[in-house]
Amino acid sequence: MSEEIQVSVRGEENVTVIDLVGDVTTFAEEAINQAYQSASADGAKNIVFNFRENDYINSAGIAILIGVVTEARKRDQKLLMTGLSAHFQKIFRMVGLTQYADLYPTVTDALASVNGETAA
Amino acid sequence: MTPQSNRVVELRIPSELGYEKIAREAVATVAHRLNFTKEKVEDIKTAISEACTNAIRYGSGSDARMKVVVILTADEDKLDILIKDPGASGAPPIDIDIPDIDGMVEGKRRLGGMGLYIIRELVDEAGFVEASDEDEGNQFRMVIYRVEDNKKESSPEAKASGSENGGLA
Repeated sequence: MSEEIQVSVRGEENVTVIDLVGDVTTFAEEAINQAYQSASADGAKNIVFNFRENDYINSAGIAILIGVVTEARKRDQKLLMTGLSAHFQKIFRMVGLTQYADLYPTVTDALASVNGETAA
Repeated sequence: MTPQSNRVVELRIPSELGYEKIAREAVATVAHRLNFTKEKVEDIKTAISEACTNAIRYGSGSDARMKVVVILTADEDKLDILIKDPGASGAPPIDIDIPDIDGMVEGKRRLGGMGLYIIRELVDEAGFVEASDEDEGNQFRMVIYRVEDNKKESSPEAKASGSENGGLA
């Protein structure tokens, strides 16, 4: 029943972007963790999780992201999140996830923040 | 369906993670027809997803031979949602704490345990209610009013049932 998530990793200027397309639920755990480990193995210091706006995210999916936060803190990595709908931005704030990952509307905005530019 | 009508939609979904999306889509359709705002519809979708996930995972042990029953009752001023599960894990929790994300990040707390908290924050009333004599298992009820101000005017009956049975509201 759950839409299988498609996770891909790409490099941008000083940032590694992990694109998530599909449901972020308990079924996404392996794919998200593999992508994160792959990015870390390549030395990523700034990692953007880029969500597709209308996808389904539940508390199990949020727990997976908290697990990533735990690892990222050990590795002194900066996490950023983009593409979230206003609703899921609210949920992420509600559970406290935004203490550990800054939210931006788009990947472009996140890149501008990391690289000290003003977003267009 | 007009807001004046009283309609009941009943779903029986397999107790298997992923099937909560059926309830999610169904409640979205009902909530749209009741003219809830777009943001409130999103709140309701997330709340029912979390409640059904709990019913599947904890209330029936993710055993797809079991069923989770979702009853959506739409009336003039509110949407009433009742979720029934077989109660495989025994009594439901009574106290719901704010998620300790710092503890989770530091490895002092297990990851998870956020679903009921999220539900409580998103709907007007939420809590486990006592099952009738014919029913066994857990019943979790959520109420969402069409007008925000009605939150403060929720019925004494609903509040009493919530507080007596580990209600969250």
